[in-house]
Amino acid sequence: MKQKTLFASLFVAVIAAVALHAADAPKFDSYSYVKTVGAISEYTLDTNGLTVLLMPEHSSPTLTFMVTYRVGSRNEVTGTTGSTHILEHLMFKGSPNFNDAKGNSVKQFLEGIGGNYNATTWLDRTNYYANIGSEHLEGYMAIEADRMRNLWLRDSDRKPEMTVVRNEFERGENSPFQALIKEISQAAYVAHPYHHDTIGWRSDIENVPIEKLREFYNTFYWPNNATVSIIGDFQPAAAMALVNKYYGAYPRAPHPIPQLYTTEPAQTGPRHVTVKRAGQLGVVAVAHKIPPGTHADFAAISVLSSILADGKNSRLYHALTDKNLTTGVQNVAFFNHDPSLHFLFAPLAPGATHEQVEKIIFEEIEKVKQDGVTDTEVQAAVAKSLADSAYQRDGSFAIAGNLNECIAAGDWTLFYSVEEATKKVTAADVKRVANEYFGADHSTAGWFVPTASAHPSMAKAAAPKPAAQPGAK
Amino acid sequence: MKHLTLLTSVLGLLTTVLTAQIASHVVRTKIAGLDVIAYPTGVKDVVTFHGSLPAGDAFAGDDNPAIPSLVGMMLDQGTTKQDKFAIAQKLESVGATISFSVDTQTAGISAKCLKKDVPLVAGLIAEQLRSPAFSPEEFAKVKKQFVGGLKRRLENTDFRAGDQFTRAVYPVGHPNRQPTPEDLIAAAESAKLEDAKAFHAKYYGPAHFTLVAVGDLDVPQLQAALGTSFTGWTGGTDVIHPAKAIATDAPKDQNVFMADKTSVSVILGQSSGLRYSDPDYQALKVGTAILGSGFTGRLMANVRDKEGLTYGIGSRMGNDTFSDGDWRISSTFAPALLEKGIASAKRQLTLWRNQGVTDAELAKRKGDLVGSFKVGLATTDGMAGALLAAVNRGLDVTWLDEYPKKIESLTTVEVNAAIRKYVKPETMFLIKAGTVPGGAAPTPAKN
Repeated sequence: MKQKTLFASLFVAVIAAVALHAADAPKFDSYSYVKTVGAISEYTLDTNGLTVLLMPEHSSPTLTFMVTYRVGSRNEVTGTTGSTHILEHLMFKGSPNFNDAKGNSVKQFLEGIGGNYNATTWLDRTNYYANIGSEHLEGYMAIEADRMRNLWLRDSDRKPEMTVVRNEFERGENSPFQALIKEISQAAYVAHPYHHDTIGWRSDIENVPIEKLREFYNTFYWPNNATVSIIGDFQPAAAMALVNKYYGAYPRAPHPIPQLYTTEPAQTGPRHVTVKRAGQLGVVAVAHKIPPGTHADFAAISVLSSILADGKNSRLYHALTDKNLTTGVQNVAFFNHDPSLHFLFAPLAPGATHEQVEKIIFEEIEKVKQDGVTDTEVQAAVAKSLADSAYQRDGSFAIAGNLNECIAAGDWTLFYSVEEATKKVTAADVKRVANEYFGADHSTAGWFVPTASAHPSMAKAAAPKPAAQPGAK
Repeated sequence: MKHLTLLTSVLGLLTTVLTAQIASHVVRTKIAGLDVIAYPTGVKDVVTFHGSLPAGDAFAGDDNPAIPSLVGMMLDQGTTKQDKFAIAQKLESVGATISFSVDTQTAGISAKCLKKDVPLVAGLIAEQLRSPAFSPEEFAKVKKQFVGGLKRRLENTDFRAGDQFTRAVYPVGHPNRQPTPEDLIAAAESAKLEDAKAFHAKYYGPAHFTLVAVGDLDVPQLQAALGTSFTGWTGGTDVIHPAKAIATDAPKDQNVFMADKTSVSVILGQSSGLRYSDPDYQALKVGTAILGSGFTGRLMANVRDKEGLTYGIGSRMGNDTFSDGDWRISSTFAPALLEKGIASAKRQLTLWRNQGVTDAELAKRKGDLVGSFKVGLATTDGMAGALLAAVNRGLDVTWLDEYPKKIESLTTVEVNAAIRKYVKPETMFLIKAGTVPGGAAPTPAKN
């Protein structure tokens, strides 16, 4: 239904209310126990290899049920870009068992009980979830499991949905920021499929045949390519019995799940893109290649990211925003399965130039590379991380969102281990990763340059005459 | 193991609290003139604050319309005791956040911290509200950031449509009517620091200031911290209670042309004539949800799912916390599908208005509204927001317990009567923002 935007916080949820030891984790028939980390226990359904993560947490009578398929736009090629996302949309079109005509489709069921639900597609994964009252777990799980293998996937559904997805693409293109991110990614990646945006190319959205989508579904939507997560107020034994009842009916995929083997060639020099469109103010963005979310350096990179652009005491706030050159600064470290990008965004203040702002960004990075950072800066970044971890466990829905990204990155235990790694980051680590990953030769910079714009007063209609408002202050 | 058992029983107790009456677990007190609402929950270590006091844009009256927002932006730019970097350092060193915002009627406060840091955060909220430094240098920066932020919003089709809609629906003088963007930019550029200081002195104070804290609370500790921090503060004023909006003579069909946009934002709507606390409000709200809430609302089911004309379309009521508000359908369409999409939306509106909703639709939507209300209260943000909204709407915190019963009690006859009484398609305004086919040509940008 929607694309996942940025995984804005690297510092994922950590330390649940009650940390379990492996010996405390209950065992269940038909499942192999794998491990327990923190408050989460992992199991595998013996019949088909489905991964199940359980995180009981009873602070409210609600829970989040989520299934994450390990397929995203990184699994697409020319002609099928955007297919993961279109397929996600078609997953709401029904099956012989659950559909609108019967009055029991996933939309009808979840809106009948007030569930907060949706699905998202991103580079490495696709997830379907609902945050619901605890008593509705079985009703939702039955529908969610059914569409894993029984989806209709009809061309009569694809045709009207194509224009829906195209409008989603068009809405994204309306934003200069999103257009800039897309073009920087296209320049930064030559071979790896992170090159194209998850929404896909417009021509692929319009023309991909239903057979290709069905092939995609039959390749990736299998229990052994999925993780089911249950977080919140539930009884583990009962929940596991339901998972076995509804997912245990499916076999493993009859083929190996295809693995991506393309790697991005080393970048050997700085790259630069310019996006010119109608608009009001310019934007400078600078991206650097960073390692995948599972890499040991990711925590130090995140601390560096925070020191550069998170908050009033960040280096770029002092150098740019506080000097009236930008209206703010933003940082995003993409947390992905494969080597990804770290972005710095600097929306220009009126009167500032792209050249001036970009030069200062690179100079500030160079200062960190040469002189390092202070212990105080590191301590503040770590403190923000630890507090954010607590904030991220405020409700099962937030926990599920972060756990989903860890599953997609390839190791759900990152949900806990990133925090432990962050606590150990030193100023020396930050300087080292700045030198290793934030070199100009690994950078791709982008400018949004406004070329023309409609003046605010260009409402076509005549300006309304003021009408008196009695009683108004 | 003993520790585990104890903790489990505590969590069990708190679960019971959430499923039982909410209001009976609210601790509401007057502290140093503030209305303080505390609500402990089972979350571990997290405390969320939401608050508001009447000092929004509408209080500019006939004076500089940018001043209320500029004052709000100055709150975190340093105080008479310490500069903004020192405050940021104190907050960042413990991972706490405090932010301020300004809307039509109120200045808002949002904060988040760990349990141990409640006294620090309460103190800094008070210090920033009571004694902003108002340094000339920071004021100059804030003015520039305000103008830059507004110019950036002018690139957003949704913002442009919504902004224009307020001037179509609300007459001059109504708090919900927005100044034009060019007026706001000019006002910010000419704003004087003395005026900002005077505004702060006149409107900021504890009277009508509500502060809600939800989460892992030590309530006596919270109350003591607020008492220490806010004692001696005086002033404040009530929100504006305008007469109901009278009809404007704005054109019914308006285009806000924006070059290079691939999707057009559309609003079709009217003044609702209703405030949230009005007797007919919930009946019309449920009827409106049947038309345009979620994926099963009539608009999404038809305009999106059957006809494929848009990514998103919905109907809702809003801007009615303090005064009568508005009713609208919002959507986006590709320029080539714009007229077809609008026609389809109008078709659904007419059907709904003339034929009403069915018993089955009402029963399902009740389940949705009551269920999502319960799910929404499961986080500290959701609970704090709901408590503050109830008070700002002129209701008591008991509303959180009464709401599900009120929704369940509505009948199809009541819902359809409210739709017929308040929704007038013939009076509606249609606003389109984007590269509207046949719209005006763009002019060169100044920057």
